[in-house]
Order: sequence, then C-alpha cells, then structure tokens
Amino acid sequence: MISVSMKNISKSFGGNKVLDGVTFEVNEGEIYGLLGPSGAGKTTIINILSKRFAQDSGDFFVKAQNNEMGLMLEHDGLWGSLSCLDNLIVFEDIHKLPRERTIEVLENVGLSGAKKKAVDNLSKGMRQRLVLARAILHRPKVLFLDEPTSALDPLTARGIYELIRKLRDLGSTVFLTTHNMEEATNLCDRVVLLHCGKIIEEGAPHEICERHGAVKTLPDLESVFVKLTGGGLE
Amino acid sequence: MGFKAILKKQLKVFIKNPGVFVQFIIYPAIAWMILFFMDFDAMTGGMEYIEGITYEFLETFRQNMAANTPNMVTMQATIFAGMALIPVMAGFIAEDIEKKSLRFLTMAGVKPAAYLFGIGIVVAFFALLSSVAFSFISEFNGVDFWVFVGAMMSGVLGSIMLGATIGILTKNQQNATALSMPIAMVVGMGPLIAQFNGTVANALRFVYTQQLNIVADSLNGIITETPLWQSFAIMWANVAVFGAVFIVVYKKKGIKE
Repeated sequence: MISVSMKNISKSFGGNKVLDGVTFEVNEGEIYGLLGPSGAGKTTIINILSKRFAQDSGDFFVKAQNNEMGLMLEHDGLWGSLSCLDNLIVFEDIHKLPRERTIEVLENVGLSGAKKKAVDNLSKGMRQRLVLARAILHRPKVLFLDEPTSALDPLTARGIYELIRKLRDLGSTVFLTTHNMEEATNLCDRVVLLHCGKIIEEGAPHEICERHGAVKTLPDLESVFVKLTGGGLE
Repeated sequence: MGFKAILKKQLKVFIKNPGVFVQFIIYPAIAWMILFFMDFDAMTGGMEYIEGITYEFLETFRQNMAANTPNMVTMQATIFAGMALIPVMAGFIAEDIEKKSLRFLTMAGVKPAAYLFGIGIVVAFFALLSSVAFSFISEFNGVDFWVFVGAMMSGVLGSIMLGATIGILTKNQQNATALSMPIAMVVGMGPLIAQFNGTVANALRFVYTQQLNIVADSLNGIITETPLWQSFAIMWANVAVFGAVFIVVYKKKGIKE
C-alpha cells in the first residue's frame, strides 16, 4: 500500500528550478532514501511533503495527518533553556502519551543519562538524538528524517540505524534524505538518486549497484571498532 | 488542542528566563520607590535662593507634587502595561518562530488559540501579580482596588495581544525587538505625554493604555470626561482586534515558518 507519493512535482525559487518533474512512490512500512549531493533538492521534497512549501505543479500524497507525522529537520526547534525531558514533555502532553513512553524513547536514543540536562548544554550529536526522540515519540505513521546522522559519530549513527529499522518493523514508513552513500546502502529498502532536481535512478541499493556494475567489498573499519569496543549509543 | 502543553512549557521557559522575570518586579519596585522615597524638600532644595520665589510658592509646589504622587505611581503601572509586556510577548513568539519550534508545534496539531492562550496566560498571570502590587502601592481600597486591577488586566491583555501580533509577524527575535520597542514606547509613554498635550491625548483616545490611564486618573480623584465603561470597552476592542489579527497570521505562517 502506498504511504507517500509524488507525481510530477516541480518547484522553483526565484527562477531557479529546484525540482523538475519528481515522481516516486513509497510503500507503507518501508525505509525510503532520497540520495543526492547538497543542493539536489532533497530538503525541498521533505518541505513539500510536510506542507511547508506548496509545489508549483504536480501532486503529492502522504497517508498521515500532520500530527501523525514525525519530523527531523535541519533546524531542531528545541527550547534551549529546558531540559531534554522537558522538551519531550511538551509533545508528550500534546499527543497525550504516558510518561513511560517518553522515558522509553529517551533510553532508545541513549539520552536517559542526560534527561535533566539543559538542551543548551548538549553536544550537537546529543541534540540530534533528542530531535529524533521527539520525532518518534508518538509512533508516527510517516517519519521524515532530513540527514538524520549528519552530526553523529559512526557508533551513534549505527544505533540510530537500529532504531529506524525497529520503527520500520513496527509499521512506520521512514522517508529520509542523506548524502551518505554508505548510510543509504545499509539502511534503506529502496532509494532514489536525485541530481539537480531530477530523479536519475530508483530501486533497492544493491539492485542499483548491480545494475551499474558497482558492487565491491571494502574493508569495514567501523565494524572492527564496534567489535573491539562493543560500542553502542552510550 | 495543546493548550495545557504550551502553558506548562511556557511556565518553565518563563521561570528560566531571569531577564524577563525581573521586569515584572522592577516596575512595581520603582513605583514603590516613587511613593516612599521621593523627597520633595530635596527636590526644591536651593530654590529658595532664586530671586522672586517665595516660601508660599515652594510650599504650594511641594504640596502639589505630593498630591500628584499617586498619579505618578499609576502612570508607572500604565508604562509597565505598555512598555514591558509588548516586547516580552513578541520575544517569546519570535523565538519560537526563529528556532522553528512553532513549526513542530503546528505540525503536532497545536491550534493558534491554544498557542496564544498558552503563552499569554503565563505572561498575564505574572502581570496580574504585578498589577495587584501596583494596586497595593497606590493604596486603592475596596472596589477601587479591584477596578484598578481589572483595568490593568485589560491593558495587560491589550499588550499581550499586540505583542503576540508583532511576534507572529516577525521572522526572529532581533526583528521582534526592533519592531516592538518603538511601538511599546508609543503605547507605554504616550499617556504620559498626553497628560501635557491635548492633541496627543486626542490622538491616543482609542489606544488601550490611554484608556487605562484615564481609569487610573479617575480612581485617583481626577475628573475625567470618559466614563469607566467606555474606557473598558475601548480596551477590550483593542484586545479583540489584535487577537483576530494574530489568529489569521498564525494560520498562514504556523507551518511555513
């Protein structure tokens, strides 16, 4: 069943065409990656899907109300003087969730030890994890993640991947943007490659690599590090 | 939807913001100082040596100053209602816009009225405490005490709505301060200038702080032309207009910003 779709979407800013006839469909319960370099139009797609901008032409569909979506964007929207817990309590109250859920999510993102710490005193990576916690707090039907691991170290990023997979397994549709090819390969069920506002390729990461004869095995230092340290999120 | 969440959030943000919190104490404190520390003998010290000034003139001057002290205290209350609250309210909302918090709140389903009341009630609550303090300092008793608090709260609501409208129209806190301060100066200081200039008083007659000052004057025993009900009606009309503008702009900008 289709959860998110775009059909022939175009968008320009001041004569500069950012999206040009973008079309794709995302199935329910799928991790779908939007892959491309900076300026390719990834964030614009998320902004259109989350109704921040209106498209110039074309149609889109998201099978969720606004309050059934989870958002993790470039600007975190956190209240700096409040603690991690207090920031989440705002949304716990809005979505009428039990406190146990908030505590559980803080544990899931590895921030239970910092729950009373003011956001202004968090590292960039910790802030990013808190934003993810806020995005998944209400178990959204559709989760939009704009470069979710861009400020994270590989170990923390790995923990976030696990969390995203778990959400997918619980039925959420995850729509993420990244310019990290490895992340897209390891995490996404399907990806689209975006270049200058146009989709240039679509499919499962391994299918795309095979199609283009780009399957290779690289030494994986990150796995060695995890094996040696048993590293997790904390 | 979301009123309770915004109320709780704003209470925490308010308490953790001493720069804002102190304004709700400093204005009544200055009013108290005006009342209890003003030394009219010191103010007129040396004037007896000016040629042509008589002892009777100085005595009358001192008595007039002393008689006008309650008016100076209520003027301080009017300045508080106008000048302090507009930038505070605009700043809170502009901060939520600048840091994109408003977008997350809107996406989560927080309605404009819930957001406005959630933030406004926290500001109004602390302003109520300041208003009660002003009424005590002004030594109003019985019905006058509560009429003054009621008039203050009508002025406070006017400033909250005006501040909220300025806040929602701006892009960031810097912009909100730049826009709200001159407006707050006019709204807050206007009634003071109006006391000395009939044209200004006439120009400000539909501004809520001018009406607040007229109510305070009448409670201080000064004869005013405007009946109390009319002053309250004008103040509440101001509240309604600013509130309507806020709701329209929030709906347009909530998600976009």
